[in-house]
Amino acid sequence: MNLGMGFKLSHWQSLLLFAVLISIAFGFLSRRRPMDRVKYIVWSLFLFLLIGVGIGWAMYPFSH
Amino acid sequence: MADETAAQAAQPRDSKREAVAFFIGVAGWIVPGLGHALLKMWGRAVMCFLTVGLLVILGTGMRGNVFSSSGNDAFDTLGFLADLGTGTFYLAARSLESNGADVSHAGGDYGTRFLATAGVLNLLAALHAYEAARGRKA
Repeated sequence: MNLGMGFKLSHWQSLLLFAVLISIAFGFLSRRRPMDRVKYIVWSLFLFLLIGVGIGWAMYPFSH
Repeated sequence: MADETAAQAAQPRDSKREAVAFFIGVAGWIVPGLGHALLKMWGRAVMCFLTVGLLVILGTGMRGNVFSSSGNDAFDTLGFLADLGTGTFYLAARSLESNGADVSHAGGDYGTRFLATAGVLNLLAALHAYEAARGRKA
C-alpha cells in the first residue's frame, strides 16, 4: 500500500475491504440486537466473497 | 363523533412528525450519521459516519473518479448523483482528489465504485433514519 500517491490495492484487497465495510453497514442498519448483527455481518461477508470470487472464476475463460 | 374529533386532533401532530422526519432525513444526507444521531441511535450513527467516511477516503485514495455536474453523458450524471449522496463528504472528496482521477488502472475503477457506493449507502441510511423518525419499526 503506497500512501504517498494514493492506495495501491490488489483486486482481492479491494474486494475484501468493500465486502467488510458494506457488510458492517448493512448489519448495523438492518438488525438491532448485537448478536443478530454479528450473524448478519458474517453471513453477508461470506456471501459477498463467495459470489465475488465465483464471478471472477466464471469470467476466467473469457480472458484466455 | 368522538373518533372524528380524535382524528382531527391527530392531523397536526402527524404533519409535525412528518416535518421532523423529513428534517432528520435531510440531516442524515448532509452529514452521514447525523440523522441517526438526532434519533439517539448512536451505534448506527457512528457506523454510518465511519463507513461512508472510509469509503470516500479509500475511493479518492485509489484515485477514483469524483464526478462533477458538468458530465458528458447519462452515466456521468448518474455517477454525480451517486457521489452527491455522500452530502458534505462530496466536498471533502473533491478536495482530497488532488492528483485527479486515474481510471486507467483497476485501482481507480474500484475507487470510483467505492465513492458511488458511499453515496448510495448514505442515501439508504438517511432513508432509514427518515422511516425511523416516522415511527416505522427500524
